[in-house]
Amino acid sequence: MSEPVSFEPASMSPAPKGPAGDSEAALRDSLKRCSSATVEAALAYRKRRDPDLLPSIIIGIVERYVESDLRGKLTEGDDDVRLMEDLGVDSLTMMEIVMLVEEVVGMQINNEELRDLRTLGDVKTFIDCKARGLPLPKPAKFLPVEGIVAVMPIQPPFLFLNEARVGADGATAKYRITGHEFFLQGHFKDNPVMPASMMLEALGQLGVLYLLEGHPPAEPGKMVGPGTIFFTSCEGVRCHRMCKPGDVLTLTIKPKRTKMPLATFEGSIRVGQEKAVVAEEITLTYGYIEVPQVLPAAAVGAGEPIPFKAAVNG
Amino acid sequence: MAAIHPPMHKVFITGVGFITSIGNDAAAVGQSLRALRHGIVRYAPFDKPEVPVKVAAPVREFQTDGEDPEDWVLPAPYRLRREVLRSLGPGSLYAHCALQQALGDARLAAADVSEDGTGLYAASAGSPGILTRHVNRMHGQGVMRCPPLGIVASIAGTVQFNLVAHFKIKGASTGFSSACASSSHAAGFACDEIALGRQRRMFVVGAEDGNVETILPFAGMRALSLNPDPDTASRPFDVARDGFVGTGGATALVLESEDEVRRRGITPYCEVAGWGQASDGHNVAISHPDGAGLAAAMRRALSAARVTPADLDYINAHATSTPIGDISECRALHAVLGAEAGRVAVSSTKALTGHGLSLAGAMETGFCALALRDGFIPGAAHLRNPDPACAGLNLPRTTQPATLRVVLNNSSGFGGANVCLVLKRA
Repeated sequence: MSEPVSFEPASMSPAPKGPAGDSEAALRDSLKRCSSATVEAALAYRKRRDPDLLPSIIIGIVERYVESDLRGKLTEGDDDVRLMEDLGVDSLTMMEIVMLVEEVVGMQINNEELRDLRTLGDVKTFIDCKARGLPLPKPAKFLPVEGIVAVMPIQPPFLFLNEARVGADGATAKYRITGHEFFLQGHFKDNPVMPASMMLEALGQLGVLYLLEGHPPAEPGKMVGPGTIFFTSCEGVRCHRMCKPGDVLTLTIKPKRTKMPLATFEGSIRVGQEKAVVAEEITLTYGYIEVPQVLPAAAVGAGEPIPFKAAVNG
Repeated sequence: MAAIHPPMHKVFITGVGFITSIGNDAAAVGQSLRALRHGIVRYAPFDKPEVPVKVAAPVREFQTDGEDPEDWVLPAPYRLRREVLRSLGPGSLYAHCALQQALGDARLAAADVSEDGTGLYAASAGSPGILTRHVNRMHGQGVMRCPPLGIVASIAGTVQFNLVAHFKIKGASTGFSSACASSSHAAGFACDEIALGRQRRMFVVGAEDGNVETILPFAGMRALSLNPDPDTASRPFDVARDGFVGTGGATALVLESEDEVRRRGITPYCEVAGWGQASDGHNVAISHPDGAGLAAAMRRALSAARVTPADLDYINAHATSTPIGDISECRALHAVLGAEAGRVAVSSTKALTGHGLSLAGAMETGFCALALRDGFIPGAAHLRNPDPACAGLNLPRTTQPATLRVVLNNSSGFGGANVCLVLKRA
């Protein structure tokens, strides 16, 4: 987060001026295209300020702005449903959603706070933290390929991450199969297919990056040593789809257990919306080293996300 | 030494689309023009003691009076997604529907619509109703509580912003803002884009909300008719006329080069043979008493089209039914037509539709295209006692069958802007 969050407890926010103030009728009117469950949850929240009501209010409001043919993804999907890619919520629609959330739950949300909200889970966590007065989780950090190469012990031509986004609750990355990977010359003869073992390798590499980015936080003065991380095991691996040159792999890992010296992740790979690989458990071993005394002045290649408000002409 | 002209391409109208008070497609509009069936009604939003104006010519079958576009009602076959609706005012909604219709009428494939050689020029005054609501909301609810697309939905370029994005237009695009001459300017300059070989196809769209906020401010100018009778309120050239009747809607025209007409094998409505413009240099809102600018614009248009008054069969007059404006036009017509004044048929179809402001030029060019293709002269509806200034002009009271060769369409706007388009039998 580029600047401190200006949090005001919801109960202390001044009610917005004008006719859409805080009357029940105005609230019902603002939510007239939302489900009755959403309206009831919003009315209850106005009375009790119970943060447990927020997820259903948020989903109800997002649903109202999602085209009817995409709503299934919202109700059937989990917190990983992506606002833009899966639900078609562009930056302008996001502003509409935010304005209605602000009005209904009585909080102020700044543009800067929105730029890291990419999934439904991000939105729920964000609103929940604001309503409870908790600090916001550290936003996911974006690493372009230069930033990945700079920290990884694994290097090209054996590095299968083009870009990554790493946060406390997991990491995602993309890798485009170019067709020039050396092993594709023989796998298979005249039929290049990404080996399943390499897909697992790519997921493992994302786990390495997660650990090197300081998740979970190490003891003071310590850090995960790039030379200490090795593969130990994997379980429950299933491949669903052949991946070939031109395919863009979307890799996801989530930590299941991390306790020195073992970190266990669940991992998956998609190509577009198609499931390619699922690994129930991938376990890496790791160790700590002392933090070097002199740190570089600036982190290498830490890419800035695109500012939320930069998407508008005129 | 003779002047060197760049090679000029002929321009044709190959498609029309109408959302108007007298019909929501070319067939219905054609029937209304032939039967002289007007679209003027006692307009419910004016039904208040403090509003002296009682009639207007709203579009039919659409309901766009709610603040929230998702509450609007659209007739079949039109259906727009929320992400499209949210940046539209009523006028740009009508424009979207009219353009969709015109593309179908011209039998254009998607690949012909979204390509480098196809552009769009539009005209509208924006949506003052939506702008008012948003500014009120900004003052009442706070700066950050305004709809993110409020500006796009309301400022004067709203029609082309929306249509260019939604129809994926790749060629030239802009809007014209010369009040009641706007969409004639759009048609004239669109014609030039094709004539000069810059574009092979142009869409021309004029649109107006046609509601309280676009019409009623003209009451303050004393420009609107206070006549409460829908059957006589709009009567251009009549001695009893007392102002114009407001209307809204949209008209879309498809203009194409001769090469495109041939390549696609489509039968055009007519040729756009030329256009001309000139300004009064006189008054911000009152037309020149002798119609000097309008006469100059007519002469330039005829010259550009390489025709003379002797070739003209019909003039669709700008005449809005205001006391001063109609007389100015009569004088301009006499000055230009000379000995042909008694022969060339003149009528103002605003008797049927009321005055469409930024929509008027494109709408009436569309009417002329129907008249040329289908062979009729729209009559001068509601004309009982012609103003003495009309003496010597040929104002047919009823619609007449006629094989038209050359037709002129006049438009005049605030600031004394005058635009005339010459259409020719294809």
